[in-house]
Amino acid sequence: MILDRSRDIGEFVPEKDDDLIICRCEEITKGEIRRAVHEGMWTMTEVRRYLRTGMGLCQGKTCGRNVKAIIAKELGVKPVQLEDCRARGPARPVEMGTFGDETEACIEE
Amino acid sequence: MVRYDLIIVGAGPAGLSAAIIAAKQGVRTAVFDENERPGGQLFKQIHKFFGSREHRAKVRGFRIGEQLLEEARECGVEVHLNATVMGLYDKKEVLVMADGETHHFKADAIILATGARENFIPFAGWTLPGVMGAGAAQTMVNLHGVQPGSRVLMVGTGNVGLVVSYQLMQAGIQVEALIDAAPRVGGYGVHAAKLARLGVPFYLSHTIVKAEGTDKVTGAVIAQVDEKFQPIPGTEKHFDVDTICMAVGLSPMSELPAMAGCQMEDKGGAVPKVDACGETSIPGIFAAGDAAGIEEASSAMITGQIAGIAAARRLGYVDEEMFEAETDRLRASLQKLHEGMFSPQNRGRNDFTETDEGYPISQSLLHKGYMEDQEITRYPGAVSGKSGVHPVIECSQNIPCDPCQDACKFGCIRVGDEITRLPCVNEEAKCTGCGLCVASCSGQAIFLVDETYDEEHAAVTLPYEFLPYPQAGDKGVALGRDGREVCEAEVVSLKINKAMDQTALLTIKVPREMAMTARFFKKKEA
Ligand SMILES: Cc1cc2nc3c(=O)[nH]c(=O)nc-3n(C[C@H](O)[C@H](O)[C@H](O)COP(=O)(O)OP(=O)(O)OC[C@H]3O[C@@H](n4cnc5c(N)ncnc54)[C@H](O)[C@@H]3O)c2cc1C
Ligand code: SF4
Ligand code: SF4
Repeated sequence: MILDRSRDIGEFVPEKDDDLIICRCEEITKGEIRRAVHEGMWTMTEVRRYLRTGMGLCQGKTCGRNVKAIIAKELGVKPVQLEDCRARGPARPVEMGTFGDETEACIEE
Repeated sequence: MVRYDLIIVGAGPAGLSAAIIAAKQGVRTAVFDENERPGGQLFKQIHKFFGSREHRAKVRGFRIGEQLLEEARECGVEVHLNATVMGLYDKKEVLVMADGETHHFKADAIILATGARENFIPFAGWTLPGVMGAGAAQTMVNLHGVQPGSRVLMVGTGNVGLVVSYQLMQAGIQVEALIDAAPRVGGYGVHAAKLARLGVPFYLSHTIVKAEGTDKVTGAVIAQVDEKFQPIPGTEKHFDVDTICMAVGLSPMSELPAMAGCQMEDKGGAVPKVDACGETSIPGIFAAGDAAGIEEASSAMITGQIAGIAAARRLGYVDEEMFEAETDRLRASLQKLHEGMFSPQNRGRNDFTETDEGYPISQSLLHKGYMEDQEITRYPGAVSGKSGVHPVIECSQNIPCDPCQDACKFGCIRVGDEITRLPCVNEEAKCTGCGLCVASCSGQAIFLVDETYDEEHAAVTLPYEFLPYPQAGDKGVALGRDGREVCEAEVVSLKINKAMDQTALLTIKVPREMAMTARFFKKKEA
């Protein structure tokens, strides 16, 4: 039901706090997220790929809930009805040099 | 690749408790935690805990952390600190980053005890330096000895908001106000009352509208909200603060179980679906503590133990009979914490008007953070008009807590086996004025009153946890439960010993008619 993309969610209506930053790591505003929904991004994952919400240093730990609430409100559903983004490793920010350094020593220690 | 029987992620109360019980059964156990200090949230909790003796009540949180770490080391648990678990993959493979390197480990069972993170609500100016999580502020003052600012607005009146506000005041920081969008204080009344008598005001049904400032917070604007939690224009109030702390709830940290493919559900945030032992949909992967659903450290220690013993059974270290006996014991202990108006099943409810015993709940406590003078003697812990020294217990909600009854060796105080019952004073028993109940009360809710101290004066003994300590002979004013100056007061004595564990007993002398009113002392500035 939620993802029935033929459903009419109405026009994008500007709100006065649209310039409020929601994802502070990637500096994405409330208005950008709301607009993305109207541009067809109806899931957390789609919005993430479209705008990079939750892809910064905190990996969505601060903004995830708030992004979800905004998408849900725009779609007229409850936040619990939306799925979280797919969780993937690494669970914390890590330098590529460390992450990619899969030497024998590390694996066989 | 190193193998263990059991790998536990998170060295908080849940993870360490799980490790201890499993290792005692011979399970080869390793715990990984990304912090440099073990204990999870406990390491910054300098207050005395609630619960019963079996839940380590009346012990300060960080000491519980130290005790758990020592027990874990004693029974051979390998605790790896500064070790971040980056991934949990197929066949229980764990990827750990430590010392700038990645390491792979495998185990036959995994317990995820990763705790929770703080929620944030966005508002105008929320990204300014000076807006921070209450937990972050608590880490700064209690762990690093750094003041986050000099004047704070606390958003949220749950136990986290109340406890952190008090600790900020102890660190010499002025908390200007606590606000909450809900119409009632969310946390324990005893925690709220500690702040109210310092003069900190509560604004219920209020939200934060704006953080002011260009490079950092220089002020905050709040406004009253309507039933739909929308700010009502014209009700704005301004505060000169340099710090805004957010204590608006916690969300479980659930990336690892989601990544491993455990079935998830939403319980105020995503958590893995677990059975009665904390086992997820993937056999051998367990979740415990806040990671399985937000509660508290006391219950995290028990859910951790349940997961630990269940993992030991799955690994073949524990037989069925012992498993049943242990889990029965642990569930009974957990149930004791789960009674009363603040239990997890009552979360979000704020329609209680009476205690379990049928006493009316103080509305003033819920709306202003303190009980009115005339309400105190309604409850079974407070009598007035007695001669000689006697305890006055201002504990009026069904919270899971009973150190007061253990403290009194003379039988003056009774809670009973159901620890959420209100403490009662036994008027038959003779109080010696030893003060142990005052120092043991985790809620700082017990006062000793002697209405016949001398011809004109009453003596009031109160718990005091601020430095520098006042000294006998110091003159000043007594504050009422609402923090207002009510009369002149003089310090009669200040007692502190090891058993009191840093809670000093301050005895002040006040005009006799103020015996049931004076509840804090402020020294006159020289
Ligand atoms: C301000 C405040 C006051 C509180 N007061 C009380 C109180 O008075 N009484 C009470 O009972 N409870 C209290 N609580 C609640 C209590 O602290 C928590 O419920 C409890 O700590 C949860 O225990 P836990 O073991 O589940 O998680 P935590 O204590 O949060 O421990 C989890 C640990 O896992 C680590 N971790 C997470 N992810 C990873 C990873 N990927 N790799 C490695 N390590 C990881 C974390 O760094 C952390 O050290 C309070 C909480 C707060 C915030
Ligand atoms: S002061 Fe001592 S004797 Fe009196 S009630 Fe408290 S613990 Fe009991
Ligand atoms: S009076 Fe007793 S039950 Fe109430 S907070 Fe104090 S110790 Fe706990």
